[in-house]
Amino acid sequence: MEDLLDTSALIQLRVDGEFHELDVLAGRTLLDVLRDDIGKKGTHLGCKTGHCGACTVMIDGKVAKSCITMAATLARAEITTIEGLLDEKGGLHPIQQSFWDEAGLQCGYCAPGIVLSALELVTDNHHPSAEDIELALAGSLCRCTGYQSIKRSVAEACVRMYPANENIN
Amino acid sequence: MSLHPMYARPRDLEQASQLLASLSSGAVIIAGGQEIMPFINYGVMMPDVYVDIGGIKALKGVNVNDDEVSIGALTVHRDIQSTEDIVERLPLLAYAAQQIGGGWQVHNRGTIGGNIVSMHPLYDIAPALLALDADVELLSDKGLQRMSLLQLQNDSSHGLGSSSILTKILVKTMLPNVLWGYYKLKNSAGAYGSANAAAVIQMDGEKIKSIRIVIGAVSETSVVISKALDGYLGGAYTLEIGRAIEKVCIDAIDEPLSDQQGDGVWRKAMAGIAARRATEMALSNLTTSSIKR
Repeated sequence: MEDLLDTSALIQLRVDGEFHELDVLAGRTLLDVLRDDIGKKGTHLGCKTGHCGACTVMIDGKVAKSCITMAATLARAEITTIEGLLDEKGGLHPIQQSFWDEAGLQCGYCAPGIVLSALELVTDNHHPSAEDIELALAGSLCRCTGYQSIKRSVAEACVRMYPANENIN
Repeated sequence: MSLHPMYARPRDLEQASQLLASLSSGAVIIAGGQEIMPFINYGVMMPDVYVDIGGIKALKGVNVNDDEVSIGALTVHRDIQSTEDIVERLPLLAYAAQQIGGGWQVHNRGTIGGNIVSMHPLYDIAPALLALDADVELLSDKGLQRMSLLQLQNDSSHGLGSSSILTKILVKTMLPNVLWGYYKLKNSAGAYGSANAAAVIQMDGEKIKSIRIVIGAVSETSVVISKALDGYLGGAYTLEIGRAIEKVCIDAIDEPLSDQQGDGVWRKAMAGIAARRATEMALSNLTTSSIKR
């Protein structure tokens, strides 16, 4: 049984389309690996307990809190960070643009996580209700905006991404 | 305790079980990590070995055998909320899984097995499963063993011991005439409950035939209340009966918790309020259709 044990584990991550093979120490978080090893500084450290959502990234298309995800447990995974949302020319994703236009962020510390949660929502649900939006964003805390402009930003993004949505709100 | 912990990724259940049996008490099992990682991050726990069971196929999936739903321990909360067999057969469990805090991020990775073995008094899954009289299956060096969740909870408040793995949860399909309610009293949207209550009520026309209430988040372990309510069976529900149920549930709490969720005296009182509101939710008949995926 001893041969199963090691102080580190080999993981294969595709981060924003770029392949990385890493040997990570047991106990390290995905957040640390993304920021320190791969240089994705758009993923923010907030609470380290899973309450605030600033560290949110997508793992295989589903949002997760990278500060409470142990990197070693991701033998193979596709990771999307906020940097991965930019288009080839470095232009903003429609959700990011809506957040910009509708004042969906002030200090911006929570914004990467909230934008990614919004992305998971609108990928599966092109016509989210106000309640759907609240539910999808419940895992992130924002201490600046009071949430109203964030919810407006997500609704606006849906209208822009799926123009048949003129009637939502 | 170790500054240089080891990590293992066993291939299957047999290997995981053998590995755990060969290790000392410094080993922890990890899958989604939602329970354990906050403790690791703050140095509250410093395990010698992480045994990662997240890749073991035998722990995944939801199956129905006759009238029993089998839920693999690695099933994440998001799947508990949306898997058809659970939403249709165990709507109370699907609803309770929606009440878990932390948002989609936590629901996408947190597992039902991890939620149970943490034995955290404030969590939402245990009251729902206890109300449904669920069983659990455990694997240890003694082999597979099936026991009721209530027995597991009462055996030890510290989980399973480091050599066991919770493999699946087994729950009887709720009968069509069974009404259910779940009420979580909390001070903000994502907060832990200050008092949680799950109610499962069987009706015979207008009359209450059986009633089972489980109170969570008020004492160290969930409290199952059923026999003490026998006096209120056979009649229709009235506000007086609701108040009486409230009192029975308050009296059932011996040692209320005092923590960030509130002071013990208040928590004990709120156990009754939560129980009555869960009962009223069940009787409102709206519960099955209000499930939102």
